[in-house]
Formats: sequence, structure tokens, C-alpha cells
Amino acid sequence: MTSPRFPIPQGTLDMLILQILSLEPAHGYGIAQRLQQISRDRVQVNQGSLYPALHRLEQKRWLKAEWRESETGREAKFYALTPAGRRQLAAEKASWNTLTDAVRLIFNEGE
Amino acid sequence: MAKLLNLLGWRRRRLEDDLDRELRYHFDRRVRDMMDAGLSEPEARRQVAIEFGGVAQVRENVRDTWIWRWLDVFARDIRYSLRSLSRSWGFSLGAGAVLALAIGANTAIFSVVNAVLLRPLAYQDAARIVALEASWTNTGRTSREMSGPDFLDVQAQAKSLEVMAHSAGEDELATVVEGRGEFANARWVSGDFFSVFSQRPAAGRLLAPTDRVGDDPTSVVVVGHHWAQTYFGSSEAAVGKSILVYGRALQIVGVASPGFRYPEAADLWVPDGPTNRANRGRHDLLVVGKLKPGVDLASAQTEVRTIGARLAQEHPENRFEAMNLLSLQGRLTGHVQTTLWVLMGAVGVVLLIACANVANLLLARSSARTREIALRAALGAGRGRVVRQLLTESLVLGGLSAVAGIFLAALLVWGLVAMSPPNLPRIDEVRIDLPVLAFALGLTLLSVVAFGLLPAMNVSRLGVSDALKHGGSKGVAARGRGLRSTLVVTEVALSVVLLAASGLLLRSFQVLHHVDLGFTTERVLVAYSQFVATNDENRRKRIVFYRDLLERLRATPGVRAASGVAFLPMGRELRPAVEYSIHGRPEQPAGERQKSELQVIAPDYFRTLDIPIRLGRDFNDGDTPDRPKVAIVNETFARMAFGAESPLGQRIRIRPTDPWMEIVGVAADTRWRDPSAPPPSELFLASLQGAGGSLSILVRTTVDERSLAGTFRAVMREMNPSVPVEIETMDDLFAGALAYPRFRTQLVGGFAAVAAMLAAVGIFSVLAYLVGQRTRELAVRRAVGAQAVDVVRLIAGQGAQLIGIGLVVGLAGALAVARLLEGLLYEISPWDVSSYVGAIVVLAIAAAVGTVLPAIRAATIDPLVALRHE
Repeated sequence: MTSPRFPIPQGTLDMLILQILSLEPAHGYGIAQRLQQISRDRVQVNQGSLYPALHRLEQKRWLKAEWRESETGREAKFYALTPAGRRQLAAEKASWNTLTDAVRLIFNEGE
Repeated sequence: MAKLLNLLGWRRRRLEDDLDRELRYHFDRRVRDMMDAGLSEPEARRQVAIEFGGVAQVRENVRDTWIWRWLDVFARDIRYSLRSLSRSWGFSLGAGAVLALAIGANTAIFSVVNAVLLRPLAYQDAARIVALEASWTNTGRTSREMSGPDFLDVQAQAKSLEVMAHSAGEDELATVVEGRGEFANARWVSGDFFSVFSQRPAAGRLLAPTDRVGDDPTSVVVVGHHWAQTYFGSSEAAVGKSILVYGRALQIVGVASPGFRYPEAADLWVPDGPTNRANRGRHDLLVVGKLKPGVDLASAQTEVRTIGARLAQEHPENRFEAMNLLSLQGRLTGHVQTTLWVLMGAVGVVLLIACANVANLLLARSSARTREIALRAALGAGRGRVVRQLLTESLVLGGLSAVAGIFLAALLVWGLVAMSPPNLPRIDEVRIDLPVLAFALGLTLLSVVAFGLLPAMNVSRLGVSDALKHGGSKGVAARGRGLRSTLVVTEVALSVVLLAASGLLLRSFQVLHHVDLGFTTERVLVAYSQFVATNDENRRKRIVFYRDLLERLRATPGVRAASGVAFLPMGRELRPAVEYSIHGRPEQPAGERQKSELQVIAPDYFRTLDIPIRLGRDFNDGDTPDRPKVAIVNETFARMAFGAESPLGQRIRIRPTDPWMEIVGVAADTRWRDPSAPPPSELFLASLQGAGGSLSILVRTTVDERSLAGTFRAVMREMNPSVPVEIETMDDLFAGALAYPRFRTQLVGGFAAVAAMLAAVGIFSVLAYLVGQRTRELAVRRAVGAQAVDVVRLIAGQGAQLIGIGLVVGLAGALAVARLLEGLLYEISPWDVSSYVGAIVVLAIAAAVGTVLPAIRAATIDPLVALRHE
């Protein structure tokens, strides 16, 4: 299957990418793999949204990219968080937590 | 900065390559992983390809992020720029005006260059239409026209031409339309003439190679659209009518399409063939042709030159120099190229100066904005970001100026067309069209880079803490000063170049304007007329007509003298050059005898034009056809033919079969034909003795010559209504000669004036700024006892230094440029000292004006106020 198991909300992909990269720099393929692994296959991202997102983040200066040798020995474009990206991730995490908490509260109330 | 270049090729390509590599890596890794999971390679590839769902789509999505991001930032920069420009509206208005002026002037001149030199001629397949020329030296003159036999030879031999046609022009040919004598611009053309230009008729048909030529009673003519409308109301009405063209009855078979012109609009096209032009030495055909599709100009040129060389060998009596083929556009506009390119160069220099000026203003402004910029830098704006912001501001400024400039250009074009020389080809095609707009846009972008980049780079190099600490009084300022000085020196230098060039042109124009023509042009009316005479009886009548006409005119009140002349000045009619032999000297073979220009005149010619007769007498009414033939020569003729001997009583003849003519007078030299050429040798024959054909009447008046034009016309109409006449003043006739020199002198002069003004503004802005920067220092100097004079000297000294360097550099540049102008200068050397001195003086005055105000401001600094203010 090529489509994600469930649709990733707009903007969430950016945050997930930042999160993955906060652990260590990775190339596009690695990011996709890791998203899939960590989410236990629940999140699958296609290339059509992954690469535009990476370039967008790079242009916002939240990521920086460099070409270096990958684990297979071939050159790959590795993305890493910039300080600005790290701050952005923190901010997004905080607001995400606030939001999900709020949503959970509301859902629980309704039960 | 990097983003700005995003759209530029190399940066873009690198991004694309990167993306490709990145995606390929992903693809290959996925395939490998799948193969590790047990799939065969083809199967894995297939799976991954499906998963990817179209690499192109992925790539496109990524690209969008580049562009949108860029546009977003750009839009923000523009908004910010507009705010920032409107905050300092004084600067914006000043810089904008300077730029708009320069862009407008450049665009206007370019629109002329584009219309006249660059845009293809308005014919179908214009690029394939060529002109053929033959230079020859039979009479010591060169010509572009070809002879009939040569035409036929080339037509038979040239393989690169699809079709060839010839035309011989005759402006103002006498015609009779519905009983009235009128002038018409006629062209004698061969049957293929209209097919060279792929023309279709507006009514009837155009000429065909089968149309009879010569005195055939079934002869036909094609007329111009405008002409048909003027005389018959419509094209259709004209077809089938008959008109008299130089005494021949021709039937109108068709009307040319309204826009057709070659080289300019004509009224009549009469069929003509080279068959009746058997004389190889008679060059009178303007030849055009159309290249076969796919043949390039160079190879056609080679072919025609080869044929020309062969013909020259086969027919030595013809004395070819060469045959040549060139694009029709080249032939039509060749004579104005230099003038137009000089103007383009001059106006380009104005743009450079304007850019230097705006760069200067920007520098001044950026030093005032040091704090703002430092603040932005401190808040995290990278160097590229700051430079981009400043460049965007320049771009916005340039864009707004360009809009204003294009409107200005429209106005200027209107003025240019109005003041352009009368015979500037294609001037009516000048307009502001897409290529011109594109030019204006390109020019604007170049200017923005020119005036915006340096100041922007300069500012961005600024150290943040420095700038914030010093509140903008150091930092950029210290750096900027060197740059600003360089810009001012550049401005001064460029202005000197332009001033010197315009000085040279002006001096040359003056000399030309005041050249001693050898006769006076004031209060002389010129009536161009044509008395059609195709047989001996009519020719006798013609002599009588002109004699009687002159007699009546001489009796008219207000007329001091009247005479007639066969060949008008100023190239209106090419006067023939003839060879002559002198009685008592060995006869030379044709081609090696002495040559002279020929003129045919009525009695009183010299008195009418105030030309002194040095020796002997004028022609008079006693010089009739049955009396011995007489001639008058000018001083140059006398000197060349007889040296120290007296010419009076000498006898000469033109053709060996002619009777000898006795020289009865020697007249002073004149520059009748071309004021810019030295007086040629001239031989005058008497119209009363039957020489020449129709005469142009010259009348010297004691009152305003224009007031007599009506009377003049009435007398001629009354004596013979079928003789068409056109009247103008001698002054107007000669004003035409100066049209080009006047045109370029006025324009280059105008540009030079603008340049000097801009330079003055540049000097002013630098010095004013300097005074502002040094207020404190100057105040301290005043406080410790410096006099106002010392301060003025200090500031003026700074100015003088810049101006001095600029002058030296400019003079060197001017000397280099002057050589390019050599061809346009008349009796003025490109090293004419007074032009350079003039340039220096004008610039010094402008510079002084720019220096005075800042110096005064410096002198009037009140130490107390200035020091307390700090």
C-alpha cells in the first residue's frame, strides 16, 4: 500500500519530520523509514508530500542539508535541525500537546 | 541574495540536479530494501515505481515550494520597500525623476533606432529583399545605379536571386491629369518590380513583364492609392482613366496597395524595360531583387561580386569599380546609421550618469538608515537578506521610474518625430511597441543592478555593534565615502565626454552653418517647374516660354532680379559631370579628359544670387541658338584648366562632335551643390542657346520673398497652365542640408546639458553629505578660531579634488571618443581645442554651482548650536 494508513493532518508532517530529525540527521529515505518504523507502520508518508515538506522546511531555515556518504556508501542528502528548527519543534510540540489535551478533555466529557 | 538568484539559471539548475539525485537515491534504496525482502529486481523496481506515483509529480511539488517561498518573500520585500520609499519621499522623487528621465530618453531614442535600423522592412519576406549596386568611375564620381545591359547580364547569370527588378526614379515629373498640369513622383520600373515586394493591387492589376514599354500607344501605368484618391476619389474610379505623363498618354490599369512604398511613397509606376537602355555606360537603374529561399546574404554577395568583376573585365569601357549586393534595409538606412548610433551612445552615457547619481543618493540614504539596518541585522537578518531588501527597494524604485520613463518616452518620441530631418527614412514607423518596452524593461533591470548593488553590498558589510554604537555617524559613512567619491568622479568624467562630443558637433554645425556659400540665400524664391518638350519645336517653345516668363517676373514690383537654373542645389537634382577638351591641346581619349560639373543658366543668374563675375561678362539675351556658342566657367575650372593663363577667349567643347564654345566669363566659386564640400569645377552653358531642359526659376526680391509666391504662381499658371510648378524659398532649401547636423547637434547638446546638470547634482549631494558628516569637526574648527573662509576653502577643496580627477579622466575619455565622431565633423578636427575647453568650462560652472551651497552651509555652522546638539 502506498497511501498512509490514516491521513496525516496538514502541518503535522512538518512537525513529525522535525521530531525525527531532532534525534539525528537523516536523508529523505531514512526519514520515511523511521516514521514508518516508529509509528509501527501506522504512518506511511509518500514521496509526493515528503520532499516538498523537506524543501519547505529547509527554506524556512529550520533544516539545513548537506550531501554526505550514507550507510550504503553512496552520497545522500542529509537533513539536520537548525537551532531555529529546534525552537520551532519545541513550540509545535507544546501547542500540539495543548491541543490534544484539550481535545481529550472534551471527548472524555462527552462520554 | 541567494533566493534572488534562485530564478537565475545556474542556481536553478543546481537545485534541480540536487533534487534529482535526492529522489534517485530514495528510489534505489527502496528497490534494494525490497530485493532484500525477497523480490526480484524487476519486480522491486515495478513496485517502487508504483509507490512513487510519478517522479515528475514529486519534483513539481518540490519546485512549487521554491517558487512560492520566493514570491512570498519578494512580495513582503516589495511592501516593505514601498513603505520605506514613501517615508523618504524627497529622495524617492529625486532619484525617480533622474531615472525616469534617463530611461525615458533612452527608450525614445531606442524606439527610433528600432524603427529605422532594427525592425524589418514592412514587406513580405523583407529579409530576402536585397539591393544591387554598381560603383563606377566614368566621370570621376561614384554611383549606386546600374546600367541596363549590366542588369540583364546579372539577371541571366545570378543563381542566388529569385527575381530581380529595376526602378529609376523621377521625383516631380510633369503630368496632366484631367487637363491640369501637376507634379507626380514617378518610377520607371520593370515588370517584376511588384513581385519583388510581393504586392497585391488595391484595384485593377499591377504591372507584368508583358506590359509594353516606350512610346507604345497601349502603354499602361499603375498609380498610388493616395494619388488615385486625390484625383479620382477612389481606387476603383481611377482604373481605366488616361493621364499624360511627360507628354505620353498612359492608361491606368491598377492601383497599388495603400501602404506600399519603395523607397518612399510614389504616385506613378510606369513600365520600363532595360531593352531601351543599351548603353552600358549609362547608370540609372536602382536594382532590387529577392534572394531564393535559403540563400544567405553572404553567398549572394560573393556571387554578385564575381559577376561584377567578370563584367568589368569584359567591358573595360564601363570602368566598374565593383558590383555589390546588400540588404535593402542596409541601403535605405545606411546614411542615418552613424547619426542614430551616436545618439544612442550619447543617451546611454546619460543613463550611466543617472545611475551613478542614484547610486550616490542611495548611499547617502543608506548611511542615514544605518541604525535601521543594523537593527535588522541584530534581530537575525542575514547579510543576504539585507542586501536583498535593499535591492528590492532599488527594483521598486526602478520599476516606478520605468513606468514614468515610458510615458516620458512617448512624449519624447512625439517631439523627436517632429524635429527629425525631413528625409529620415521610416520615421513615421517610430512607435513604442513590444521590443521597445522590452528594451526599457531590460534597461531598468540593468540600471537597478548598476545603481543598487554597490550601495547594498556596502551597507551589508557593516559591523552591527559599530553602527548601533555610533548612531550612524560612522560605519557606513566611512566606507561609503570612497565609493561616493568614485561615483562623482565617474559622473564628472562621463559628463566631460558628452560635453566635449556635443561641443565638437556644435562647432562643426556652426562652421557648416556659416560656411561661405559664395552666394546669398536670403530673399530668394525658387520655383521648380517642368516644361515638357519631346520634339524640336517644343524645345524652341520652351526657350521662348522661359525667356518671356523671366521678362514678366523682372517687371513685377518687389522683384530685384530673376533668372533660371537647370539643376537645383542640395542634391535635389544630381547635376551631370562632363568631360571637356580644350581647343589647341591634344585630344585625350574619353575617360582621361578633364572633368567638370555642368550647369545650365539663364541670363542674370549671377546677379540674382549675388555671385561676383571676376572676368568677362554674363550671358545675355543676345546669346541665341543661332549665335556662336558661349560658356562661362568658375574660378576652380579656370585654375584647373588654364592655370595662370586667362580663360577668356579660350575655346572648349564637351563632345568631339560639338561645336567649340568660347569662354566669355569667369564667375566666383560657389558651394551650390553641397555646402559641406569644397567648390567643384563648374561649367555654365546658356539656356537661351538651347542647352538643358526645364529651368527652376530664381527670383531675388526686395520684399519678403514669401509674399510674392502667390503672384509668382499666378503668372506661371497664366502663361502656361500645363507647366507644373512648386515654390519654396532658398533658405528652406538650404536648411534641409543642415537638417542632420542640426538634429544630432541639438540632441547630443541636450543630452550633454542633462549630463552636466546631473553631475552638478552629484557633486552637490556628496559635498552636502560631507558637510553633514563633519558638522562637529567643522564646529570645533570654528570654535578654535577658523574663519568662515577657511571652512569654505576646506569644503570647496574637497569638491575641487573630485572635479579635477573627473576632468582629467573625462578628457582622456573624450579624446578616445572623438575619433568615432570624425566622420560627422565638418572642417573641425576631432582634437579641436575649443570644444574641450568649452566642455571643461561648462562642467566647471556646473560643479561650482554644486559646490557653493554645501560650502555656504559649512561656513554658516554655528559652533555653539552644532556642539550642543551632539
